[in-house]
Amino acid sequence: MKTIKTFLLMLFIAFSNLAFAANPSVPQEGGKQYAEVIKGNDTLMVNPMNKNLYGGPEVEAIKNWGIHSPNAVGWGNIFTILQGNYFSTIFAIIVILVPLAFLTHFMVVGQKKFEHGKKIRVFSNYNIIVHWCAAVPFVVLCLTGLVMIFGDKLGGGSFVRFARDVHGIATILFVIFGVLMFLMWIKHALFRAYDIQWLMIMGGYLSKEKKPVPAGKFNAGQKMWFWVCTVGGFIMAISGAYMYFQFADIETLRMMALLHNVLGFLVIALLITHIYMAVFAIEGALNSIIDGHMGEEEIAILHSYYYKEINAA
Amino acid sequence: MSNTTNILDNFSRIKFYCDTNRCIECHGCDVACKEAHHLPVGVNRRRVVVLNEGQVGKESAVSIACMHCSDAPCAQVCPVDCFYIRADGIVLHDKKTCIGCAYCLYACPFGAPQFPKNGVFESRGSMDKCTFCAGGPEETNSKEEYELYGQNRIAEGKVPMCASMCSTKALLAGSSEEVANIITHRATMRGENIPNAVPNVWKTAYGN
Ligand code: SF4
Ligand code: SF4
Repeated sequence: MKTIKTFLLMLFIAFSNLAFAANPSVPQEGGKQYAEVIKGNDTLMVNPMNKNLYGGPEVEAIKNWGIHSPNAVGWGNIFTILQGNYFSTIFAIIVILVPLAFLTHFMVVGQKKFEHGKKIRVFSNYNIIVHWCAAVPFVVLCLTGLVMIFGDKLGGGSFVRFARDVHGIATILFVIFGVLMFLMWIKHALFRAYDIQWLMIMGGYLSKEKKPVPAGKFNAGQKMWFWVCTVGGFIMAISGAYMYFQFADIETLRMMALLHNVLGFLVIALLITHIYMAVFAIEGALNSIIDGHMGEEEIAILHSYYYKEINAA
Repeated sequence: MSNTTNILDNFSRIKFYCDTNRCIECHGCDVACKEAHHLPVGVNRRRVVVLNEGQVGKESAVSIACMHCSDAPCAQVCPVDCFYIRADGIVLHDKKTCIGCAYCLYACPFGAPQFPKNGVFESRGSMDKCTFCAGGPEETNSKEEYELYGQNRIAEGKVPMCASMCSTKALLAGSSEEVANIITHRATMRGENIPNAVPNVWKTAYGN
């Protein structure tokens, strides 16, 4: 055993001497110094700039920046037009008009009320915790995102920069619990044939009638929201990471920025919808995700297929 | 100052032009810029880029930085509106307002905006770009302006550092009229067709 070790050591020394001999400019007194010189060179060599972003590829990208560019249509011009003229306006319209539409709904159709006699447990504690641990960062993400979008109205500077940092940190939390939420509810969120019926009657929200609505544990609206907020949320996180770390070429970064904004419209519009439905549209609906219980009548009407399932079991 | 007034009288804006017939890729301009403004590692306001490297007859080098566009795309997309364009055409921005979102980079055709990494999460600091050596919104020639934006050579009556350092005078900086005159002269001397030699891309790249 010992001889093998000595042999290996000798072999190592022989080879390292060979390496020194091959590079006469490097001081040869000892391995340590050699290592330091090489490492020093490395740090000088490393280009901290993203080579895909700055340099040759970037100059090439100039030729296809615009809509009328000689080589190809690039995203630079499109991004400039959309971000410069439309994005913040569209976000403003969404945050004003969507709540306004629901306010009208609230005043015309009104709240759905159900008897709160018998309660059935529909969500476990695990469901509740994961939901809220994903929901809180999600809301924070939307709010800080809006702060950045309307940064000029808020004066920019340290406050908006703070919002940007919070946006980044909240992403980490959302991704962790978003994955758990995705796994926990994916089975219930798969679309079924009866969801089409739900969509045709708009979930019964346009009338005051109490007629059983075709829906499982989640109705078609909730299912849409589930997919937008999980899959959409992950796409938001990925495109955001691209923008944050800048680890791609400029055209990819531009596409990511466009994607991030366009998905942002959908996410914010649906978040407002989700909050309205949970807090205002149905009396006491919020309780189901706070204590896990839902009134029997509410299930029977709004989640009629789920009600049948429970009763069959 | 009188210079600026002259430029404005001629309705002329400042321009950069890199004569690729002359640029020898010595990196004098980008090093001079980094040195003059004490730019941190990773921030290169000016870059020299070689195209078609090694292909005989096709290789050329070009020095690029902020081109100070008249309809600057960066200024259009900035969510906190921190850009301002001076009367002489220099495009500047306010680092204290900037949030480092990099939208200006996505809009810029020339890759001018630079982002120093700082903080624990490698988050981006305020954007940094070529100022045409004209500082920023802080008081002219103040210590603060120097720290944030580097030397204000325009206020001192000097030519931008990069152009003044250019050994072959490939990199030209000045009013569009002056720059165009020099290029026209050079082309005439070489016996070239003038409309071909004068940077015909200006219209599309800059307007005016
Ligand atoms: S990085 Fe700064 S200057 Fe550039 S668009 Fe964002 S806030 Fe504006
Ligand atoms: S004009 Fe000044 S800041 Fe701009 S690239 Fe040249 S030296 Fe750098």
